[in-house]
Amino acid sequence: MSRVGLGLVLVAALAASVVLGVRFGSVDLTTGEVLAALAGGGEDWQRRIVLELRLPRMLLGALVGGGLALAGATFQALLRNPLAEPYILGISGGASVGAVLVIALGIAGAASWMLPLAALAGALLAITLVFGVATASRRSLDVRVLLLAGVVVAAFFSACVAFILSVSEARIVQGAVLWIMGSLAGAGWRSVTVTAAYTLPAAALLLALARPLNLMSIGEETAHYLGTDVEKVKRMALALAALITAAGVAVAGVIGFVGLVVPHAIRLMVGSDHRALLPLSFLGGATFLVLSDIVAQVVLAPTQVPVGVITAFVGVPLFLVLLRRSLIP
Amino acid sequence: MALAACGSPGESGSATPADAGGVTLVDADGREVHLARPAERLVSLVPSATLTLAALGASRALVARTDHDTASWTVQLPSVGGGLQPSLEAIVAARPDLVIRFSGPQDTRTPAGLDRLGIPHVGIRPDRISDVLESIRLLGRATGRDAAADSLVARIQFGLDSVRASASGRPPVRVAYVLGGDPPWVAGPGTYIDELLRLAGGENVFADLGTLYAAVSVEEFLARRIDLLITPDAGRIDRRVLGAARVSEVGDALELPGPGVTEAAWTLARLLRPEGAP
Repeated sequence: MSRVGLGLVLVAALAASVVLGVRFGSVDLTTGEVLAALAGGGEDWQRRIVLELRLPRMLLGALVGGGLALAGATFQALLRNPLAEPYILGISGGASVGAVLVIALGIAGAASWMLPLAALAGALLAITLVFGVATASRRSLDVRVLLLAGVVVAAFFSACVAFILSVSEARIVQGAVLWIMGSLAGAGWRSVTVTAAYTLPAAALLLALARPLNLMSIGEETAHYLGTDVEKVKRMALALAALITAAGVAVAGVIGFVGLVVPHAIRLMVGSDHRALLPLSFLGGATFLVLSDIVAQVVLAPTQVPVGVITAFVGVPLFLVLLRRSLIP
Repeated sequence: MALAACGSPGESGSATPADAGGVTLVDADGREVHLARPAERLVSLVPSATLTLAALGASRALVARTDHDTASWTVQLPSVGGGLQPSLEAIVAARPDLVIRFSGPQDTRTPAGLDRLGIPHVGIRPDRISDVLESIRLLGRATGRDAAADSLVARIQFGLDSVRASASGRPPVRVAYVLGGDPPWVAGPGTYIDELLRLAGGENVFADLGTLYAAVSVEEFLARRIDLLITPDAGRIDRRVLGAARVSEVGDALELPGPGVTEAAWTLARLLRPEGAP
């Protein structure tokens, strides 16, 4: 499929899935009721469901899903590793420690921003630690060291989480596990605004780095000879991708799989030119997470299935089909 | 009805609007919640609070249930999902004038969402016997059933006193409550189960644990000279633990603090002294 064609398809798909998500939720509303609510009519409770729950939830899903896929594509290019995903620098581990800590200390409920802030702080701590190790030589940032430090820091943080949970009572453990599994259920207009303010500028900057990223995915040395300021691009792109991931984790918890699979799927369809790969990954990730969240809400309604379960259930078979097809000449 | 508000510790006085029929509640988190009138459409996310509402004669006011409420009188109500992180949509659709939720930190998304939507909510902590009594009074005040709540509390207190009296003067039975798991989890000090055990004339052999519930080694079981081992389901625990003492299976009878606390205490008293309990 051509890039422009896929782009148009994805824009349409994203719009359609947001419409679907506003139409369907865990409560049955008719199309007429949803339209009336959107127009400001209908009953008060129906307006609340459509305007204050479904709409912000779908928009947050699009922002977080798009951000994760974009960050994943960036990490895969910079680390030149197909297994790279947004959480690879220990970001999910750091965020989990922050969140679990405020839950276990009993201060998570003190204010609605407490948990996201703690998660964000944990994620930033992880990023700082990993970058601190990888830039120890001061001359250049070694991506292999970065990768290794990320894995080790993530392991350390997951041990911290296990320790906190092992000395906590059952209800705390339940709450912490619910948070770690990730959910868009906390979406409101404020979380949409805050996440957009973080994600969109960072995403725009990353898209502007597409050309140097193309060169760097061939090799840092080649990129250097072709006139790229390798160090600057590398640090900036890593920092931006990490920030986007941290913002997503802070509002929605750890949603796996989007950032790993979507960029690969897009790459299999249009190749690895980052000028196309990055924006298409954002659109693909946004669509994928919005659709997954609708399924997560509806499949066992009113019980909500963790959205990360759906991203894996839907994403894995889809990805395996794409992968297999790419091997057939 | 106006008298109900005076029962709450509202020292400032001026903060409470004096409209007739209004109710001011202080929940388990210490939050003050003002209702213009007693709640008539309730969503309870806490199973024990659902039982309390029924015991207060307020079951008709319940407009939705959770997946965990399976009593016959609740099943025809729409469900809002789990008690933690329920579907906010389903709650809004039930148009409640009060939501009863778990207090504490395990689910911060629900209270934040309810605040955003302007739906009043109170937190219930169903942990200890005193919490059970406190929740009954809170729910009584919330639904305008203060008298029913007071008499239920008095009945429970009388029942618990009788259990306590039946056990007094006898040497305590050394007992452990095993929840299950591998390594086995036991109820430690500060738990509802520990309270019931002591009340019914038992001595919790794991009263020295630092946490509410903890996993302990099989060695500890063998070393602590236990008379009676109580567990919801003997099939769920390590066979080597079962060898340590006489074992009684009780199902989940002791794990849901609520209006059935007196029956739970009597059940336990009979288990501890099968020969001499009334």
